Parts: sequence; structure tokens; C-alpha cells
Amino acid sequence: MKKLIAILLTVVMVMSLCAVAVSADEVTEISLWTYPIGKWVDEATVSALLDDFHAAHPEIKVNVEYLDYANGDDKVNTAIEGNQAPDIIMEGPERLIANWGAKGLMVDLADCIPAGTYEAVVSSCTSANGEVYEMPMCMVAHCMAINRDVFEEAGALQYLNEETHTWNSVEDFFKAVQAVYDAGYEYVGCIYCGGQGGDQGTRALVTNIAGATAYSNDELTEYVYATEANAGALAKLHAQDGIIFDPSIAATEEIQNFVNGTFQMAFCWNISQEKNNADALGFDVLPMAFPCDVTPVLQGGIWGFGVFNNGDEARIEAAKTFVKFMSEDDAQYTKAVEATNFAPVRALDGVYAGDELFTEYSVMNPMMGVYYQITKGWAIARTEWWNMLQRVMDTDGSVEAILAEMTVAQDAANAAAAG
Amino acid sequence: MADKNISVSRRTNRLVMHENIAGYLFMAPFLLFFFGFVVYPMFMCIYTSFFDATMGREDIFIGFENYKTLFADDVFWIALRNTLVIVVVSVPVTCAFSLWIATMISKMPVAATSAFRCIFYLPVVTGSVAVTMVWKWMFNNYYGILNYLGKGMGLIDKNINWLGDPKYALGCIILILLTTSVGQPIVLYVSALDNVDKSLVEAAHVDGATETQAFWRIKWPQMMPTTLYILVITTINSFQCFALIQLLTSGGPKNATMTIMYYIYYNAFKLYRYGYGNAMGVILAIIIAILSAVQFRLGKEK
Repeated sequence: MKKLIAILLTVVMVMSLCAVAVSADEVTEISLWTYPIGKWVDEATVSALLDDFHAAHPEIKVNVEYLDYANGDDKVNTAIEGNQAPDIIMEGPERLIANWGAKGLMVDLADCIPAGTYEAVVSSCTSANGEVYEMPMCMVAHCMAINRDVFEEAGALQYLNEETHTWNSVEDFFKAVQAVYDAGYEYVGCIYCGGQGGDQGTRALVTNIAGATAYSNDELTEYVYATEANAGALAKLHAQDGIIFDPSIAATEEIQNFVNGTFQMAFCWNISQEKNNADALGFDVLPMAFPCDVTPVLQGGIWGFGVFNNGDEARIEAAKTFVKFMSEDDAQYTKAVEATNFAPVRALDGVYAGDELFTEYSVMNPMMGVYYQITKGWAIARTEWWNMLQRVMDTDGSVEAILAEMTVAQDAANAAAAG
Repeated sequence: MADKNISVSRRTNRLVMHENIAGYLFMAPFLLFFFGFVVYPMFMCIYTSFFDATMGREDIFIGFENYKTLFADDVFWIALRNTLVIVVVSVPVTCAFSLWIATMISKMPVAATSAFRCIFYLPVVTGSVAVTMVWKWMFNNYYGILNYLGKGMGLIDKNINWLGDPKYALGCIILILLTTSVGQPIVLYVSALDNVDKSLVEAAHVDGATETQAFWRIKWPQMMPTTLYILVITTINSFQCFALIQLLTSGGPKNATMTIMYYIYYNAFKLYRYGYGNAMGVILAIIIAILSAVQFRLGKEK
């Protein structure tokens, strides 16, 4: 009898072990690394989204890790070199397509793109070889912002249109800056150039003042910004009272200085900045398109999921399942998009229902221009841009001197694009 | 008799062998660590420096091409000059300042000496990120305390962009480096001063030597090994100045704070030029090795 019980117990234990082994085998663990895109950096928000996914797909376990823009790239690159790249990464085409995708590290996600996704957005997420390395989730037109209270006090609101969120003209933009400066505000706006963070703001400011000029050619194979028009725009900024060049700060500090009232304008702004800083803002923010004498062209931001090819088909499939889950079903997609604070990349009823701020910022979306950040050699091109601004700061401010510096930067960027 | 001798000799050999094996076993964890994390990376660094190595493709052998490019690279020379300025300024200042503080506090009562040792050592144990962030706030162009005090005391007319002006940026980096570098040398010098043979100092005083003479003729020679060690580690730390640059200036403005270490990081991690970054690493290692050898040589002669 004792022997029989012992055998039965042994059988039960072995079977339970097998059961554990089988259930462990059935769960595929994948990793998701996300840059700070809206609330996709907030643990409670992301956990709620992951709970939805885990409930629908108990066979997949997603482990999330949060990155920041200061060190995120280093962390990802180190992981790639150590064959420990994450399965899913959330960021934009400049990294997913122009960088890691161009190096052959990403999986084609063409079969994950839901019907109805705006064609221009999909095109921005498509590499030169036709493969789609990003499943776009959300988008925004990066804009600038002004401290409306200060502008009103300085009598500078006459130079802009609050309905359309545009400046009357480039000349009026400079008149407004002068008016605010004359009202006693030493730092009206800042050409930050301490790093690449938020560099789209300074590029958009220059190219729009110059008349919405192109940064790279239509084929996105070459950089073409070293022109007299762009150099002239920088020369005007260089000469303007109240506009300072500061190589000790990047966009994060610029936003901080705008929010705390040190600067009266921010050139790196979007709806997410206003929502994230809502508690700290002690004044009325007026989002604005960049000053331009024709229709302004704003630089877009598109964020979504990329999947690294880690050589494990099961994990790639699991990653694709996650990506599809977050985007295919309208209800789930609404939650995922609202967590970004940005606009959806397809028509979506009911998203941000009753959100007045979203409606206000939506005015900017039609001004979104070509996503030139996927031009080859982008990593070097953007580094050259802020380094060029640092050098421009110390020139005599003449168009010739600025153009010479722009040409040096552009040549280096084009050498990278050609290589 | 002969058999007995052979037997003793065998037993002795066995004992020696056992001791050797035990010795190597004790050393094994460290040796594994040393070969895995020091020797192997060093070898890989030298090896990769002969390749055009980047992410996402096979490395291409290019011989000494990275080294040729390096010597024609203007930014490399700027980085080397900045690094040398940091070393030339910070090493003597750190040593002299540490020695001065150590002589002051070693004369104090034990409790006071310990308290000052802790105070000066605090920046060393505090995370470099935290220290750097505090300095960043102090140097802030718009609301930093240095500009506030400078204007309040009438020393400056308008705000100085300490970290954004090429004239001041490198000086600011050196200043922060000094505050984080003096802690360890002070502790070492205080210990070295405690270990000086008191009877020799007393004998010198009896023979009529002044405090200064006793210090330079009796104490200083006995502290030479400590000084040599401090010189070497401070030189190496100054050459490897990186975190401050990364957190404060990213090598700017206009490469005014670009150092070799940051330029290596910039090339390897921002531009994905691994081979080129490694070539720079090899050159930096050679420079540090030569300087350290010179310092040891001079120390020995002394």
C-alpha cells in the first residue's frame, strides 16, 4: 500500500512538473522598450494597456522598459551590439527607418498596417527598399508657442492671428519679438544648440522664415538647406534683439525655461508639452505655427512600433501580435493613441472626445510637411545642424559667413548620405 | 640516507605544488575577471582599430587607415589639446591643494580631522550625476547662483553663459573636476602624514630645523610613494574625463570642451564608427602609459 501511494505521489509530482514545463513553454516572453512618447512613459498608463493585451493573449508576456532621449540611443545600441536588442521598440522613423532599419535590423511590418492608415504616414515609415519598419501609432505637427499673457502686455498680439495660430508675416514676427523685448523681457526666444534634442524646432524656424524651404531634396537622398535664403533667415535671427543663441541648453531646458517664464517663446513645442506641463504653467500658452510668408510647413512627428529581428520567429510573431493588437481594433487603438497625447494616424471617431486642447492643436496638422528625417545619413546630419548653430553664434552675423558654416555642415551631412 | 633525502624532497615538491595550486585557485576569480574585462577588451580594442567597423555589417579590414584619418582630424587635435589642458591644470592643482588641506587638517584634533576628511570625501562618494546637476544649476545662464552673486556683488554687469561660452566652458569643467578629484588625495595625504616617523621630525626640530624645513626635508620624502600614486591616478582620471562633458556640454560650445574620451564616445555611439573610436582609444592608452611611466621613473629617481 505504501509503495502504491509512493508511486502515485511520484507520478503526480512528475506530471505537475510536466504541466509547469508545458505552460512555461507556451508563454512567449518579449520585451518592449519605449521612448517617452506622451504617457507611454507613465507606468500606470502603460500597465493598463499591457493588462488589456495580456488578458487577450495570455500566451505572450510583455516586459516593458522605459528609455529617455538623453541616453536611450546608447542603451539600444549597446543592446544591439550585445545581441540583446528589445523585441519591440516605440519611436519614430528617424531611428526605426533611417537608422536601425537602414542597418537591416528591423522586421518588415507591412502586414501589420491597419486599413485606412494615412498613406503619407505609411510612406514616411517605409524604407528605400519598400519595407515598412514602423507600424505608425500617432502623429503631431511640431509647432512653437508663445506666452500669450506677455505678448498681450507688450501689445504684440497684433502681429499674429489667434484663430489660425499663424503670424501675419515674417516681418511681423520680428516686430513682435522686438515689442516683447522692448517691454523689458531680455530673453524672448532662444536658438538652443547644446545637443540634438528637439532640433526640429530650430530647423523649422529657419526654413519657414526663409519661405518654407526644403531641408532635403524630394527623393530624400541629399541635404539642400545651405542656401542664401536659409542663411538670410539665420542672419535675421542673429541680429534680432531678444533672440539668443545658447549652446549650453537643448530643447528640454528650452521648454523648462518657457514654462517657468524665463523665455517668452518656445520653438520646441506640441500638445504633449502643454499637457505634461499643465500644472507648472502659470500663463496662457498660445501654440503657433512658425513664421512664414507662405503657408508654414511644420515638421511632423510620427511615432509607432518597430520590431527588431532577433532571429527568433516565435518572438517576432509575438511582437507582431502585440503591434496589431494595439492598432487594429478601434477601441484599443483609441486607448493606445490617447496615451500618446498625439493624433491618430487614421480616421478615428471619438478619440479625445471633449478635449478642447486637442481641437486647438489640430489646426496645425494640415501644415505638416515631408518627413525628411528619414534621409540617409540622418544621424550625422542632425549633429551637424546644432554644431553649425554653435559656430554661427560666433560669426559676424553676415549672410556670407553663415552660409559658409551651413555649407560645411551640409557637406558633412551629404558625405554621410552618400556613404 | 639517500632514499630518505629523495622522499623528503618529493614531499617538499608536493607541498610546494599544493601551495602553488592553492595560490592559483585563490587568484583564479580575479584572473578570470582581469582577462575577461581588461585583457580581452584591450585586445579587441587594438584589433578593431584596424577595421572599418560599424553596426549592421561585417567589419572591413583597412590596416592603419583609422590612424591616418585620426591624425588628419582637426577635432581630434582639439580634443587632445583640451584633454592636455585639463591634465596640466588639474593634476598639479589637485596635488598641491590636497597636500595643503591635508597638512592643515592633520594638525587638528582627531575628531576635527575625521570630520574634514568626510567633508572633502563627500563629492567622491556622491554620484557624479548628482554633483554635476548641482553645478549645472549653479552655472545656469539665466538663474544660476554664480551669475546672481556676481551681479549682486558688482563683479559682472550681465549674465555670463558659463557653459555656453567657449572662453569659460573648459575652465568650468576643470573647476568641477577639481572638486570631485581632491577627496581621495586628501585622505591619502592625511594617512601618509600620520605614518611619517615622528622621531625623525622631533630630531630635526631638536637640531634646529624650522617647520618648513622639517616638512620638506623629513616628511615630504617619506610621502613620495603616496604622491606618486596620487599623480598617476589623478593623471589617468583627468585623461578619462567623460561624465562631466556628457552631462554638461556634449563637447561644445564649438568643441571647446571636447575631450578624447568624449570624442571616442561620440564616434562610437553617435556616429557608429567603432573602428575609428577604438583607434582613438589606443592612442589615448599609449599617451597615458607613457606619462605614467615617466611619472614612475621620476618618482623612483626621487
